[in-house]
Amino acid sequence: MKGLFSKDKWKYAFYTVSHPMDAYYEIRHRDRGSVPVAVVLVMLFSFSFSINRMAASFVVNNVYPLSVNALTELIAVLLLYLLFCVGNWSITCLMEGEGRLKDIAIAVGYALTPIIVCYNIATIVSQFVAADEEAFYWVILIAGIAYGLLMMLMGIMQVHNYTLGKTLVTIFLTFIAMFIIIFIVLLFVDLITQVYSFFYSIYQELIYRM
Amino acid sequence: MKRRNRMKKLTASLFTAAVLTVTVGGADAYAEELPYDTYNYTYWEDIALTPAAYVPTGTVTGQSVGTTGFAEPQDLCVSPDGLVYVADTKNNRIVVLNENMTETIRVIENFNRDGAEDGFDAPTGVCVSEHMELYIADSNHKRIVVLTPEGEFIKIVDNPQSEILEDNFDFIPLKVTVDYADRVYVIAKNAFEGILVFESDGQFTGYFGTIDVKITLWEKFWKRLASKEERSKQQLYIPTEFTGIDIDSDGFVYASNIDSDGVQGVRRLNPKGEDVIQKGENENLGGDLIVGMFGTYAGPSEFTDVTYRGKGIYSLLDRKRGRIFTYDREGNLLYIFGGLGSQEGTFNTPVAIESIGDQIIVLDAYNSSIVKFGETEYGSLINDAVGLRYDGDETQAISKWQQVLKLDENNELANTGIGKAYLTAGDNEAAMKYLELGMNRKYYSIAWKRHRNEILIENINVIMTVVIILIILNIVYKKLLKQKIMEKRQEKGQKGGLA
Repeated sequence: MKGLFSKDKWKYAFYTVSHPMDAYYEIRHRDRGSVPVAVVLVMLFSFSFSINRMAASFVVNNVYPLSVNALTELIAVLLLYLLFCVGNWSITCLMEGEGRLKDIAIAVGYALTPIIVCYNIATIVSQFVAADEEAFYWVILIAGIAYGLLMMLMGIMQVHNYTLGKTLVTIFLTFIAMFIIIFIVLLFVDLITQVYSFFYSIYQELIYRM
Repeated sequence: MKRRNRMKKLTASLFTAAVLTVTVGGADAYAEELPYDTYNYTYWEDIALTPAAYVPTGTVTGQSVGTTGFAEPQDLCVSPDGLVYVADTKNNRIVVLNENMTETIRVIENFNRDGAEDGFDAPTGVCVSEHMELYIADSNHKRIVVLTPEGEFIKIVDNPQSEILEDNFDFIPLKVTVDYADRVYVIAKNAFEGILVFESDGQFTGYFGTIDVKITLWEKFWKRLASKEERSKQQLYIPTEFTGIDIDSDGFVYASNIDSDGVQGVRRLNPKGEDVIQKGENENLGGDLIVGMFGTYAGPSEFTDVTYRGKGIYSLLDRKRGRIFTYDREGNLLYIFGGLGSQEGTFNTPVAIESIGDQIIVLDAYNSSIVKFGETEYGSLINDAVGLRYDGDETQAISKWQQVLKLDENNELANTGIGKAYLTAGDNEAAMKYLELGMNRKYYSIAWKRHRNEILIENINVIMTVVIILIILNIVYKKLLKQKIMEKRQEKGQKGGLA
């Protein structure tokens, strides 16, 4: 466990930011990455997102404070992360992708590093800007998100050893896969509820008759 | 669980205490007995209950003013000298009431036109011009009758002739209003192109203030798919008609319409017929923001009349839920009151609204009565403060806004008003506080910019000292580092030399 969270692994997340192509290659082939670190990064992203929504200054912030809930946002982000990784894995398995589920999880998690950093910087910067200086805030925020998405693309491309075109196709298919997964899960939940209510009514019937 | 119980107990006891104080309080007790809710929408488009701005003060029926009962009256109008004219549609007459609406001054049933007796057939609109001429939309006779207030015949405006009118156009006037130059603005049945305008000599000059048809992309798409036959069966895309009309002293026409999207239910038309109304922060002039989706109570507000009340304030009458929405010139929703029902102070079929002094009167067609509403302290404070701001006297408005805040702590307009005042007074920190409460980003930002400069100027010495010290430290550190590296190299070199 200690090895998974070692200083080296943390430093590697930042190395990924500066050298995405090389770093993702080594993640796939030399096990330089760590899933726990990736998951922690995803959680950090969720917190930064909530903090930004809550604490960004009044000038730039148009979020209804009562609508911010760090816990639901954390759960939503983690579920989305899981869904994306599983969806991508199930598609790339069929499309000769070399990456394991672990590699996809790391690739996506590490790609959030610039987003986390920029979100927090933007939150701090927002405390100083006035209305006509909003652009600074948005530039920081958007640059972070854009770089993060680019890294995600590179990561998926590199761990599966794909070309750019194939990566884009698989990402598109990933979204379809995600929808299918959601559909099946909902179907399953509905079925389970019906089965449960069936047995529950039998149970109640028995209780009343005894 | 236990904790929640305790909370429940606490709220219950607080509630009882509140009820007790209200009942004991007495003076404002009537507010609790209002037959309708008074509320407003916050910046976040949540409903916030407010004190009542207007409370019902009485009902006027035909009998109560000493004449026979009204029969489906459709319009009323307040003349410049304060008399109330009611278009008693089904009785084919115009009833003139005194200022307090306690008695009938006269009833106009017929008039002498060039020696012949003439009467009305379903007069649906009535208006008294600045020059004290009475205009009556005599709908079934397809004409506008102009009389003196006493009922003497002056002229008739009818039969508009123009190329822009359809050949078989049937001129059925519903509502009428007159501007300072005696131009006549008429809302006519099936005149979808807008308001008909007549010059003072009765010459029809054209349409005015057409509402553009909105066709969504989706509808366009279906239209394209449909065959010619199907298309002919489809509903035509026609603009909505205007429902009510009023005019301000500058000659700008306020016209209400039914907007199925609930976005803009009123227009302020300049003399060229362009809409120049100002919308508030949420870009909405459509009444209720939160509406149900199903049932008879569903859908956006349907404005049936508008009245301009001076100082940029205008009130709109919603026939769907019987509410009266009041906006100021900037499009801020000031207060909401009124409702449908059968209690006194509520309506069944509200059709027309007017204001006399600090009273608002609403005509109910089904009940054949006029409901009067009187200003409360809360309402008058808001009216005064908005009026002062309209006049550009914001500093005087502060005390009014402060009193409003005492009655309604969350009033965003009041917070903004006070914030702006602090801003002009130079107290930027207080301004920031109030402007944030008032959710006014623009002025908050100005206050913050000034406050930021203040902080910088106050602390410039400290900041600059720290920066300079940091720079010096940096230089020293770099020099030391260099020395150390040189020393190490020399050591290495010596070692190497020894080896």
